[in-house]
Amino acid sequence: MRIQLSIALALGLCAASVAPVWAHHSFEAEFDLARPVHLVGKVTSMEWINPHSWIHVDVADANGNVQNWMIECGSPNIMLRRGFTKRSLEVGTEITVQGYQAKNGTLRANGSSITFKDGKKLFVGGSNPDVPDDQKK
Amino acid sequence: MNVRLIASITLLAAGTVTAQSPKATYTPPKTPWGDPDLQGVWPGNMGVPMQRPVALGARTTLTNEEFAKKQEQALRQAKADSESTAASDTKPGIGPPSYWTERGKPTRQTSLIVDPPDGRLPALTPEAEHYRKEAKLPGEWRGKADSPEDLNIYYRCITRGLLGSVIPVVYNNGNQILQTPGYVVFRNEMIHESRVIPLDGRPHVSPAIRMYLGDSRGHWEGSTLVVETTNFTDKDAIGSNGAGYPGDPGYHSDQLKVIEKFTRTGPKSLDYTATVIDPKTWTKPWTMLIQLEKDDSYQIIEYACHEGNYAMGDILSGAREAETKKDVH
Amino acid sequence: MKSLFGLSFLALSVTLLCGQTATYKPPRMADGHPNLNGIWEAMNTANWNLLDHPASAGPMWELGAIAAVPAGQGVVEGKVIPYKPEAAAKQKENFKNRRTDDPEAKCYMPGIPRANYMPYPFQIVQTNRDILFVYEYATSNRLINMGKPQEAPSDTWMGTNNGRWEGDTLVIDVTGLNGLAWLDRAGDFASDKVHIVERFTRTGADHLTYTATIEDPSVFTKTWTISMPLYRKVEKDAQLLEFKCTEFAEELLYGKYKKAK
Repeated sequence: MRIQLSIALALGLCAASVAPVWAHHSFEAEFDLARPVHLVGKVTSMEWINPHSWIHVDVADANGNVQNWMIECGSPNIMLRRGFTKRSLEVGTEITVQGYQAKNGTLRANGSSITFKDGKKLFVGGSNPDVPDDQKK
Repeated sequence: MNVRLIASITLLAAGTVTAQSPKATYTPPKTPWGDPDLQGVWPGNMGVPMQRPVALGARTTLTNEEFAKKQEQALRQAKADSESTAASDTKPGIGPPSYWTERGKPTRQTSLIVDPPDGRLPALTPEAEHYRKEAKLPGEWRGKADSPEDLNIYYRCITRGLLGSVIPVVYNNGNQILQTPGYVVFRNEMIHESRVIPLDGRPHVSPAIRMYLGDSRGHWEGSTLVVETTNFTDKDAIGSNGAGYPGDPGYHSDQLKVIEKFTRTGPKSLDYTATVIDPKTWTKPWTMLIQLEKDDSYQIIEYACHEGNYAMGDILSGAREAETKKDVH
Repeated sequence: MKSLFGLSFLALSVTLLCGQTATYKPPRMADGHPNLNGIWEAMNTANWNLLDHPASAGPMWELGAIAAVPAGQGVVEGKVIPYKPEAAAKQKENFKNRRTDDPEAKCYMPGIPRANYMPYPFQIVQTNRDILFVYEYATSNRLINMGKPQEAPSDTWMGTNNGRWEGDTLVIDVTGLNGLAWLDRAGDFASDKVHIVERFTRTGADHLTYTATIEDPSVFTKTWTISMPLYRKVEKDAQLLEFKCTEFAEELLYGKYKKAK
């Protein structure tokens, strides 16, 4: 039991002992777990910036009114090293976002699930036709 | 699917970890002006805890069995990160997608701290102990965000500090060494630090000048670059991304002195050690070892943090919004 | 015979009298290229305003003469920045709002070319391959890739910098700038489509000549050029210090979100 525990400790969630899993700011301070969102919309632009990149999405509400949301993603450096570029996410691409809205009530959200219409993860998935061939890794 | 990432994880990490810096059995090539050549891009791999789990005692390396488990875990994680489709039953977390990570390769090292021999921080001085007990949790951990100072210096995009910038985390562990006659530059990706280290034996700047990254001076001992840094502020910590709050385990005083050693151990490997000397905080010096591997294909990309820091405004305004709601009820 | 003597005497006196000449022979690195290593700084008012300008009040009377603008002779060849009409209007708008909108006030990275004429030193670190520019202001830096030119994967504050030598001049081709930095405190600007070509040439023991050609058809009617000397910091043990100005800009950026006392 003790040996197993020590192995578990040694191998345990690396992140827990080195740094928070998300190396930057406290998302709990920025976003509200009590305000989950499920958004479907079309990309209008993407800010490939640090500390986190932001996807701007036009989302139609129940009445058909279109609002522009900002969705927080990760640091773009990783994606850029994998071969993506500022042109990789085309305007008009439809995405689905599951996440949580900002505490200040603005149209900003953080989502750990950002997918294309067909459930394929955004920026991952070599077979996704939305990703240009030369950027599939 | 990120084939390259998975392929690299299946390779066993080369070399073992020793308690002290290994003897320089490898002689690196020289620059045209005759200095040992340490140049290149040396990205860090995360996954080694700062302090060794107590149960591992004096062991500096994992056993084959333990390491195999770690590799397996890393492989599973990499597969999960690169899965092309989202699992429909997953409840979203509060963080951004996990496939935006760069965890690096698992290594056999049991802890970054290699001295004291138990791989753990030495005892605090009575003053530091008292200070830690009195210190409150950082503002944002109490749900408090009255002003920018309630957030830590990493959230504010000020810096991660000298050691915080090189201790590997979930992404952007790019390190680059550049050399020119009389200088070595240690460049870290996050948050765009470039530490220019003179080698000409000049004295440190006046103690009146304090800097987050201190003031560095270097010299060669054989093929090892030895860098001594003083003139620190007391506003950051070691580890935790350098988020310098009193009460943090790595919080240090302005009396901190750091002695780094850069030793190439092979054509593609470099041992980086940092000895932390702060008699106001720890009763003994302590040393960390970060083993780095050369990867000149790793592109260091600008990490302009402060310029894109929407979070600061959002966190502060979110706290104000929450207050108005409280007042209403 | 007499004229020949006169000519060589003239040549000799010119060489002796001038600290620098058009035929200055710089010390060289092992690869034969001029050695640009050192700590450099501009000594002009380009950061206030690239064009000729008189002395004037600054945007904050509370700092008195400290925040006033000194007079300065411009660094723009041709004395005019050739804005398109709508861009000229934008520059005037920038100027009006400069106290809050100048990215320098916010401690944002200064971009190119402005980083090179900020009132803070920078260090050129010339390795046997690439060249690193380390700027004291806001801990900015940029790596000049001296190998095969790379395309900018995304826009950044300090750009994607591809360098090469043309004789004894370092030529840097800059693309991938994000268009968010200004060119000076007067609100001069370019867009994210700007293409800049810089030239650094040693003209003496302690002098560089710096020129930058700015091309951006979405903002300017034609390409234009700035030019200035850069001076070596010659004091003993000169070094860059730290100017991490983020916290100095927080009141400006976030003051309105603070809890009222």
